[in-house]
Amino acid sequence: MSGGEELHEVRLTVNGAAYQVRVPARRLLSDCIRHDLGLTGTHVGCEHGVCGACTILLDGDPVRSCLMLAVSADGAQITTVEGLAEPDGTLSPVQQAFADCHGLQCGFCTPGFLTTITAGLRATPDPGEQQAREMVGGNLCRCTGYHNIVASVLRAAQIQRERAARRP
Amino acid sequence: MTSFFGASVQRVEDDRLLRGLGAYLDDLGDDALAAAFVRSPHAHARITDIDVSGALDVDGLVAIYTFEDLPGRLAEPLPLLIPHPSLTHGRTPYPLAAGEVNHVGEPVVMVVARDRYLAEDAAGQIEVSYQPLPAVVGLAAARAAQHLVHDDVPGNLAGNAVQENGDARAAISAAPHVLELDFEIERSASTPLEGRGVLARWDGQAQRMRIWTSTQTSTGVRAAVAAKLGLALADVDVITPDVGGGFGVKIVHPWPEEVLVPWAARLLGQPVKFTEDRREHFIASAHERAQQHHVRVGFDDGGRILGLDVRFWHDNGAYIPYGLIVPIVTSTQLLGPYKPGAYRVEFDSLYTNTVIVTPYRGAGRPQGAFVMERTMDAIAAALRLDRAVVRERNFIQPGEMPYDQGLIFQDGRPLIYDSGDYPALLAKLKELIGWDQFAAYQQAARAQGRRVGIGLGCYVEGTGVGPYEGGHVVVETSGKVKVATGLTTQGQGHQTVFAQLVADELGVPLADVQIVTGDTRRFGYAVGTFASRAAVMSGSAIALAARKARAKALRVAAEAMEVSADDLEIVDGIVQVKGDPASGIALGTVAVLSNPLRYAFDDAAQAATQFAGGDASRPPVAEGEEPGIEGRAFFSPARSTFASGMHAAIVETDPDTAEVTILRYCVVHDCGRLINPRIVEGQIHGGVAQGVAGALYERMAYDDAGQLQNASFMDFLMPYVSEVPARIEIGHQQTPSPLNPLGIKGAGEAGVIPGAAVLAAAIEDAEGFPVTSMPMSPSDLFELRRTHKDTP
Amino acid sequence: MKITGGATLHAPVGTVWTALNDPAILVRAIPGCERLTATAPDTYQLTVTAGVGTITGTYTGEIALTPQQPPSAFLLTATGSGGPGTVSTSVQVRLADDGNGATQLTYDADATVGGVIAGVGQRMLTSVARRQATQFFTAIDELLLTRAAPAQPAAPPEGVRPGGAAGVSSPTAAAPPGASGTTWERPTADRQPAGRLGARPPTGSFLTGVAAGAAIALAGVIVGGLIARRKR
Repeated sequence: MSGGEELHEVRLTVNGAAYQVRVPARRLLSDCIRHDLGLTGTHVGCEHGVCGACTILLDGDPVRSCLMLAVSADGAQITTVEGLAEPDGTLSPVQQAFADCHGLQCGFCTPGFLTTITAGLRATPDPGEQQAREMVGGNLCRCTGYHNIVASVLRAAQIQRERAARRP
Repeated sequence: MTSFFGASVQRVEDDRLLRGLGAYLDDLGDDALAAAFVRSPHAHARITDIDVSGALDVDGLVAIYTFEDLPGRLAEPLPLLIPHPSLTHGRTPYPLAAGEVNHVGEPVVMVVARDRYLAEDAAGQIEVSYQPLPAVVGLAAARAAQHLVHDDVPGNLAGNAVQENGDARAAISAAPHVLELDFEIERSASTPLEGRGVLARWDGQAQRMRIWTSTQTSTGVRAAVAAKLGLALADVDVITPDVGGGFGVKIVHPWPEEVLVPWAARLLGQPVKFTEDRREHFIASAHERAQQHHVRVGFDDGGRILGLDVRFWHDNGAYIPYGLIVPIVTSTQLLGPYKPGAYRVEFDSLYTNTVIVTPYRGAGRPQGAFVMERTMDAIAAALRLDRAVVRERNFIQPGEMPYDQGLIFQDGRPLIYDSGDYPALLAKLKELIGWDQFAAYQQAARAQGRRVGIGLGCYVEGTGVGPYEGGHVVVETSGKVKVATGLTTQGQGHQTVFAQLVADELGVPLADVQIVTGDTRRFGYAVGTFASRAAVMSGSAIALAARKARAKALRVAAEAMEVSADDLEIVDGIVQVKGDPASGIALGTVAVLSNPLRYAFDDAAQAATQFAGGDASRPPVAEGEEPGIEGRAFFSPARSTFASGMHAAIVETDPDTAEVTILRYCVVHDCGRLINPRIVEGQIHGGVAQGVAGALYERMAYDDAGQLQNASFMDFLMPYVSEVPARIEIGHQQTPSPLNPLGIKGAGEAGVIPGAAVLAAAIEDAEGFPVTSMPMSPSDLFELRRTHKDTP
Repeated sequence: MKITGGATLHAPVGTVWTALNDPAILVRAIPGCERLTATAPDTYQLTVTAGVGTITGTYTGEIALTPQQPPSAFLLTATGSGGPGTVSTSVQVRLADDGNGATQLTYDADATVGGVIAGVGQRMLTSVARRQATQFFTAIDELLLTRAAPAQPAAPPEGVRPGGAAGVSSPTAAAPPGASGTTWERPTADRQPAGRLGARPPTGSFLTGVAAGAAIALAGVIVGGLIARRKR
């Protein structure tokens, strides 16, 4: 952490756990999550808000953490990729869908897609293909050509439905 | 027993990555000092002064290095990795600029500080004074050579090379028809989502260096760093972490940062880490694709090529550490699946004051395919023949395999196609896209005022280049199988695909096999992952190693069970008499038995101890034998093995906005036998996306001063989902390779190779005028329309 | 590593010369210097504590002054060592009358740096050294203009009796024959919290003595400053 800069106290709840950090004002939320909290699942691909690899859920909404300062997130409830699985370790519907559909290759962009789609399916639980494409329309992937990612969105919706149906 | 070979098994690496437990370079080394660089803002300049005094006030500053600080071998230019007789004027950069900078982004000063923010603060305070020099930008300026990039390289010419088979010029002179064509392809780049990064730890007590780097070649980096820092190979470990994509750019080594960071770590006695940001990736890594071609082709009335004479100019950027590989690949792979009567290819590789050019997926093949396929279409247009028919007439026939093109390939070996069936491939493609039905569709569309067009492109890809790869398979006493190979992984699913091979060869459950790639501690002899070679090379080596381990296991088990090894099989990790599961012993137990012990470490191990039995008259470990169940093997083929494929696309161009929409995109491809079809399809999807992007969206926009104007994702148009065809229809063909034990061919680059060719052809078909340069943005097409306004 | 430079000091050559050879002044001149102990004529051992923020380091060094042509030339040799490194330097100092009652001082330093400090890069080292030299001469000039009182020598260590005129010295007196063991301490009022080396000292600074030019800067400040800077 920087030496001479004034530090600010920031309280975050990330994946249900409370954190308290002291960071300079210019500390990016992405760097705070990755290096101050040690949650390296959120990745940095461009640092100018275009690729979406750094997407986290801030109070439920997908946000590019590289475009936010940590101090601006004080008091927020954040979900990162590390917080998507069920408490018993079962992969979430979105995560499971990516595994089923070969939706990831190098995995670098994947956390950003997972959080984005998690929020997207909350808003649109039963998307058609065009809606599925739009849901992921702001995230870059260089490996997959998006074909299997779109399939993953549809599969995730299906898994979500199946799990809901199985619940008592 | 079902085989894993050919099964679309779910990837074993996914669980970890999906949970955010990947370990990419920047996830490591939280305790390391951070390195940052001051980079040249000029394309060409002399450095007149470096004033670091402004940086001294930055808290947490640890060190500032310039060229003058570099000792011994570090003060020499970085290696010229692939020398070639035609590369007469090879130039490589110094790790830090030594008085002159030759492209925007060239590193001049290295700063080390407590964290990246402070390092960049300090870097921002350092004032470098430059005397700007004229910048050479673009092939036209390089060829004109009014100014030179390097004072001692006349004409900006790094090298000129000629290859020929027969007398093309004579054949063209004698041909009934001759066409003269010019083509141009612009720069693009790999742009993986994860940039470059390197972390180094120096162990002062053991005098050993340990490096993590986001690379495509662990052994390459190790060798280079050892050489530059005066260390023995055995005292340098290079570990490849999870890598967020490579696509070729990460085969370059050593980057300046890859030698400077370890050097600083040793000097300072503390770990040091460098992670580039996106802008740095644009201006300090590597680009590819820019070439200009001039073609003369002579052909007969049937469209058969009698002579093909290709002259081209290749922009290799400010330095040429990777040698002439890209233009050599263009030269040779341009021929595709065809057999012209005679062929001559000549190229000049030229310096410009821009970022270096090194392979990007396709590595020169996309340029070659573009030229060849546009030429084919031009021949068809000249003769008013069907474009597919012209190609058919020029194909190498299956009966002519193996076919010697009479040239030397990028591996220094003869360009001999071992296998392939191009007529069958084309037939499949035509059916898939509905080639013969398109004319009617096009007519109907025209009547509605729509412009639609169809295009096709063929390619051939030499895959699995040497010199070798190796594999090491170890069966542990637990029954788990640990496998290592030296090349690296950037998302291709090696952990799954290689496990499938081992599970098949050894007869163990897939979940019991663990694959490690790219770690010199685990496997020290390797080349790297590039040129679609990993499955062919490491796959074959691992399979061979697994066979050795299997043979050993059967030998040991046979002795223990007092049967012949020929009577045994391994099923689900149990070594048993064929068809008699009750007779079996676990492979792990066999591993215990294979290692005679003095001390038992657990109950199972007791069976292998001295008093447990066995023939006391023979040595515990027979001569020539080794303890344990291990297999180690290398695969080193005489030549590359040739995959092939053909793409077709139907596009619609908007009459007003000139936007291009891809209505259908079809792929038929042949990469021999498939280990995991779903993973191969994933590679095709990704490749097609890059091909489409390269055809329509991506280019590096340098201005005349050598400034890269679009050095960010805001202006360099990486495709989102909206830019990529929604559906890619894939047909398979398998002509097994005779050159490796698995019958496989590489598939990594296939998807990208004909993209520009196919879309150019389809756009031309829709518009009715020639398309000879890519990429083609809507504004480019708009301008082209204006130029051809009078063409019907 | 070679550094050359100069400064204009607003006092006559003789005054400057005397001040440069006065340990009571030196102890107040070197940033972070707590103590100077004479070990032989014109030879002093010094203890310096230097820091950056909350990070401090202590090291020891030795300075020797060799008059060559009083009052216009002398040689300073200095060595210093601390955890992360060593410095050994010799500095040729020349004083000349500038014709206006002031002194033109030039220094020519040759330093050898070892240990981890040697690994921070040449330009950073020379830049720090040059900055220190400039700061010292600015401070020296201030002192010569204000003529503040110098420090008193401390009680001698047990077992060593100071010889000669161990007493008050002033900028105009001849350099006291500091007998072995005589120690000068920085006055408490003078002591600054470990300041950031490389930063400009506050106005009216703790520098009330005369720094022995670049040599002290190099020996004392580089080692201290870079020790502090180097710490994680």
